[in-house]
Amino acid sequence: MPSSPGGLEVPLWRSIAVFRFASLAYVGVLVLRDGHRYAHPIAAGGVLLLMLAWTGVTAAGYARPAGRRWPLLLADLGVVLAIMLATPWVIGRAALAAGVPTLTVAWLAGPVLAWAVSGGRRRGAVAALILGAADLATRERISQSSLTGVILMLLAGVVVGHVARLAVIAEERLQRAVELEAATRERERLARDIHDSVLQVLSLVQRRGAQLDGEAGELARLAGEQEAALRALIGRAGAAPVEDGDVRDLRDLLDRYASAAVQVAAPATPVPLPGRVAGELAAAVGAALDNVARHAGGRAWVLIEDEGETVTVSVRDEGPGIPEGRLAEAAAQGRLGVAQSIRGRMADLGGEVRIASAVGTGTDIELRVPRRGR
Amino acid sequence: MSIRVMVVDDHPMWREGVARDLTEAGYEVVATSGEGRQAVRVAPAARPDVVVLDLQLPDISGVAVIQGLRAALPAVRVLMLSASGEPQSVLDAVKAGATGYLVKSAAPAEFLEAVRRTAAGEPVFTPGLAGLVLGEYRRLAAGQVAPDDAAPRLTERETEVLRLVAKGLSYKQIAERLGLSHRTVQNHVQNTLGKLQLHNRVELTRYAIERGLDD
Repeated sequence: MPSSPGGLEVPLWRSIAVFRFASLAYVGVLVLRDGHRYAHPIAAGGVLLLMLAWTGVTAAGYARPAGRRWPLLLADLGVVLAIMLATPWVIGRAALAAGVPTLTVAWLAGPVLAWAVSGGRRRGAVAALILGAADLATRERISQSSLTGVILMLLAGVVVGHVARLAVIAEERLQRAVELEAATRERERLARDIHDSVLQVLSLVQRRGAQLDGEAGELARLAGEQEAALRALIGRAGAAPVEDGDVRDLRDLLDRYASAAVQVAAPATPVPLPGRVAGELAAAVGAALDNVARHAGGRAWVLIEDEGETVTVSVRDEGPGIPEGRLAEAAAQGRLGVAQSIRGRMADLGGEVRIASAVGTGTDIELRVPRRGR
Repeated sequence: MSIRVMVVDDHPMWREGVARDLTEAGYEVVATSGEGRQAVRVAPAARPDVVVLDLQLPDISGVAVIQGLRAALPAVRVLMLSASGEPQSVLDAVKAGATGYLVKSAAPAEFLEAVRRTAAGEPVFTPGLAGLVLGEYRRLAAGQVAPDDAAPRLTERETEVLRLVAKGLSYKQIAERLGLSHRTVQNHVQNTLGKLQLHNRVELTRYAIERGLDD
């Protein structure tokens, strides 16, 4: 998982460094107090200096994101292991058995925390088990308190690893939210700009060119089509999206069909429908509009009505109309006309289709679906 | 006597183009303005019969302009023009008292006809506006706004007429289909707007009283 340089992980690494220095100070106090009972007191001083140097190296190394990788993590574990294994010789087995604390004490938890923050609770647990086993191996007799120490270290590895993962996930979510907000703002700014400039000019071109013949008139018509497409695109920019889980605003789906030839009328408030229902309904409207484009000159009016329990979409054209019996005839011949495919889609949703048509007055198709779908 | 028109639009090219079209067609353009506040200020002196208003102005909202104009000139009629047609702002403008709506890409002849009809007191509906008004009545009826029974309702006939307007039929086509006179169809459409505007005024007053703004 990518982690940004300024993320929530930084304070975790910093607190590990603080812990290592603090636990090292404790080690120093113990060495001063118990030094005279050690088998090799001079060597203890040397080991203490090594621990100080290694604490400095890890603090500096883990401060950079590039340092939080396997080479330093493994070296960290190796150095701490080596110091632990040197303990019986430095302190002497007799002194250890008499109750003198080990050289590393709590300092040995440093790599466990580093592994946990870098790789999560599983990695933290692995480091804790390795160091714990080494700790127990250096003792003649395994006392209750040393066992408790190992368990505590294991718990620390698991918990810190878990928290570190949570921090990374939370940070990624925050990042996504910030990006989304920036995108929304940018979209709103674009919508304002488009409205203030391009849209005005396109409207003007269409308006002025409408009276001209030939190529200029054609250009004006094209400008008008682009104007309608842009208007549909930015019209909803300020409204709150309704895409809550699997729910879609039917208006957004049907607005895409709006053009110079197709007008879409809808309520001012969202018309939420389950995603599948909205998708099927939009596909049925698309099929009806394709048919209008083929047979009825392309001019059409789409009306969206939200009746609470049901949602109705009407598609009306002013084409030649469908002669009586024409649909039944097509079905009898085994041809699956557009009407049939629309009926099929609506039947799947538990909805109904009403087609009103007469020669000369055009066709009005009403699609009504229950809100819940089926 | 020619009809007095005021044009309010922040786009200079548009403003001049519309004013020229109106003058050529025999209307008297008494004022033009690029800002809402200025429009409200000059309206009492200019005394327009019709205000052609772009909904998106740089200073104040279309609703605020309409309220200001109607406070200064109660008889003024407002025809909205809009390029982007953001649905909620169009609906709000209608509830505030605008009686007509047209998209800016409408042909000049269509525009002049709309001004004429607005001046004559006829509502100018696009199918889009009819869809918005229809949706608003359904929303009010569903009790999402006013749980008490103050919500206005459409008669069956009014709903039928409004649906046909939303489906793109002209008043003439609707009159033929339903066997009504052109005038009756027009009255039905006008009533759907009137009830919505009245409800809006009642709501505003009630809101003002609740908030203690009336004293």
